[in-house]
Amino acid sequence: MTAVERPSIDTAAQYRGGAFAVEHVSHEYVSAGKRTPALADASFTIPAGHVCCVVGPSGCGKSTLLGLAAGLMAPSSGRLVWDGEVVRLGPNKHIGMAFQQPGLFPWLTVLQNVAIGLRTRGSARREARRIAEEFLVTVGLGDFQDAYPSQLSGGMAQRVGIARALALQPRMLLLDEPFAAVDAFTRLKLQQELLALLRRYRPTVIFVTHDVAEAIAVGDMIVVMSARPARVLRIIPVDAADRNRASAAFAHKLGETLECLGVTQ
Amino acid sequence: MKVRDRLLLPLVGVLAVLAVWQMTVILYRLPVIVLPPPLDVALALVRLLGTHAFWRDVGTSLFEFGSGYAIGVLLGIAIGVAIGESRTFRLASTPVVESLRFIVPFAWIPLTILWFGTSYTGKIALVAYAVFFVMVISTSRSIAAVDPTLSRVGISLGMGRLQLAWNVHLRAAAPTIASAARAAAAIGWIAVVAAEYIGASAGLGLMITNAASSLATPVVIAGMIVIGLVGAGVSALIGWLARLKLDYR
Repeated sequence: MTAVERPSIDTAAQYRGGAFAVEHVSHEYVSAGKRTPALADASFTIPAGHVCCVVGPSGCGKSTLLGLAAGLMAPSSGRLVWDGEVVRLGPNKHIGMAFQQPGLFPWLTVLQNVAIGLRTRGSARREARRIAEEFLVTVGLGDFQDAYPSQLSGGMAQRVGIARALALQPRMLLLDEPFAAVDAFTRLKLQQELLALLRRYRPTVIFVTHDVAEAIAVGDMIVVMSARPARVLRIIPVDAADRNRASAAFAHKLGETLECLGVTQ
Repeated sequence: MKVRDRLLLPLVGVLAVLAVWQMTVILYRLPVIVLPPPLDVALALVRLLGTHAFWRDVGTSLFEFGSGYAIGVLLGIAIGVAIGESRTFRLASTPVVESLRFIVPFAWIPLTILWFGTSYTGKIALVAYAVFFVMVISTSRSIAAVDPTLSRVGISLGMGRLQLAWNVHLRAAAPTIASAARAAAAIGWIAVVAAEYIGASAGLGLMITNAASSLATPVVIAGMIVIGLVGAGVSALIGWLARLKLDYR
């Protein structure tokens, strides 16, 4: 897969995604009568088609945020607004997700793994197959469609996981530390590939990561969260000039974000 | 290498057992009624294979086993899935399952004879019972142990609860369930033969007890060998079927 030229960002009509707003959202888990606050009054807005990276300390409630955005759980208070409508509990058809563990079904071939979501959402068998093939080619795994997940490397498996989410042609993509478990070199490569894919399909993205450099390389904005219960510490915009890892702008963003996280350099 | 591993070494094991057997007969000068030499048993086996009654007995035992096994496996998997998927069902069924599963099948033999006499039905029920608990326990546990990431993926792809249970959990647990089914086959086969020893109108167990009461010891041992061979054959068949359907690598 080669990098795709970034189309001009100006025309809003190009955005496939919708705007996503988190409005004063708090969430706490209740188990055995004990309340554990996970999110405290979080607010931020992601413009349509933008990539929002969420960084913060371990266990700070970033995954909670994804669960809320996906409609897998309802917030204790506040609301999440997708494309003008409040997010309701239950499976949301416009969402695709990818996880730290790719979670491929080991009994299905790579192609079937990518197609199964489409089948679940009602595509005909041949249509699902055609789309799955197309997305496998897109992530550079066209030759591996008949392989089983156990035959793939970690990076390849993660590509399949991303192809599976993208094949649903989601308007919103939720990524839960998708590259945390692959080696550093593969991670850099996957970041570049993901960036190209996002430019092509333009979903609105929430990308949870531990890696601040990754957040700058991939994101249009960075939401920095505090330790649990997570509050939004700062929202840092990122532009194209900041992405070059060799540039002073990149180093500056890195410093700003790390300082915000309380990590002194 | 292949000939050595697949043929020669197993043959050495069998020959060693036969040698010990033969030596025991010679050293202790055992009469045929107590322990016949291997050759006598082999001849008895060959004679058995030529009789109609023998094949009827094998058929009866296999029929009882097959019916009970199919019932036990299907019911066991169904209940095991329900326990694995539903907290309510698990809490309600745990006391029953946990107390019944330690009542070994053999403890039920007197009751099955009382209820069903020496008919097929009692044996089929017994095998189903023996197999059922193995399958319930292993199915519910393997479903509970399915990688939670797979569930999250299923949900994120838009699967409902039933789809998740059928397409993800049961499928992910299938290899474990299959190996449990193979272990259950051994237990079920043992249950059939044991029940036939105690009360039956046909079957391998009955054939052996009849032979024993007429002091035809070579036939007794030949019958035992047949039990072992048929059991191993059934187990191998189930293992082969499981590999056929479940091998993905």
